[in-house]
Amino acid sequence: MSDSGPSGPPREPPGRGSEMVWSILGTLVAGVLAWGGIGWLLDRWLGTRYLVALGILVGMAGAFYLIIKRYGSG
Amino acid sequence: MTAATLPLAQREGFQAPGVEIFQWPDIVHIEVAGIDLSINRVVLQMFVVVLLVWGLFYLGFRRPKLVPSGLQNVMESIVDFIRNQIVLEVIGRDGLRFLPYLTTLFVFVFLGNLGGVIPPVFFPLNGRMALPAVMAVCSLLLFISVGVSQQGLFTYFKNALFPPGMPKAIYLLLTPIELVSTFIVRPVTLAIRLLANMIAGHLILSVFFVATGYMLTSMNISTLFGLGALIFSVALIAFELFVAGLQAYVFTILSAVYIAGAMEPEH
Repeated sequence: MSDSGPSGPPREPPGRGSEMVWSILGTLVAGVLAWGGIGWLLDRWLGTRYLVALGILVGMAGAFYLIIKRYGSG
Repeated sequence: MTAATLPLAQREGFQAPGVEIFQWPDIVHIEVAGIDLSINRVVLQMFVVVLLVWGLFYLGFRRPKLVPSGLQNVMESIVDFIRNQIVLEVIGRDGLRFLPYLTTLFVFVFLGNLGGVIPPVFFPLNGRMALPAVMAVCSLLLFISVGVSQQGLFTYFKNALFPPGMPKAIYLLLTPIELVSTFIVRPVTLAIRLLANMIAGHLILSVFFVATGYMLTSMNISTLFGLGALIFSVALIAFELFVAGLQAYVFTILSAVYIAGAMEPEH
């Protein structure tokens, strides 16, 4: 890390260490918010009650998929 | 438990400071077209910090010498730190044009946080939502415009919302997540991380100092504990000083990470 100055070796892609952790956490939260929000809106619209829970699960699944695709090695 | 249920408590009892320590009365009440533009102590402190940031850079680089000394030395090491540890490390050489923004951001956030431990100010500017929110929106607008100018409007949003290398059908699931994650969760967490750290620090310091004073003046066995608390409060001040610097660094480096992410599409 210390030798990657102006003329150092090709830099690592952004997203190491704590930045990666924040990005993963952000994706998880975003998944739950996005699909939970869609489920909540559908619940209000259709008068049902289970779509918000379903949305949260779908969002988590999507977030996990995205995280594994993006940061999973191999 | 109230004081009435405690038969041994002769005095009014210890009153811990609460959220009211974040609320300041207006000094000058100004209202323009229904928008409250009043000036209170926090706004005054903000003016002072802005002047301070400007003054430090102006005085530091007014007559730059080849061998820096004094203020120029301090300011140069701050610029060097942001340049080497954040810009070159995270964005690379292309990112040097963002050095002025990131340096100003770092110094402004740090000096704002520093108010929390400096007597007689004792209030962290970023303990109110306004400043972290505005700075987070600045970083959001900056990385969006960087992405649009580097990759073009269509390509940038296509890369941001449809991460490449996924099966087509899965975009239905992923695009809402990417939309929320990039354009809502990023700025919100940026602001809340700074705000929450400053609120927590200010509350801890306030409760600790009020309690120390209460114990020291109670003139019984608590006075001894008060002495211990007095010593520990010095350590707490040092800790808050560390948090002030760390959070300024985190805010700056995450802004840089977002800019870097907007400059080149994901691989």
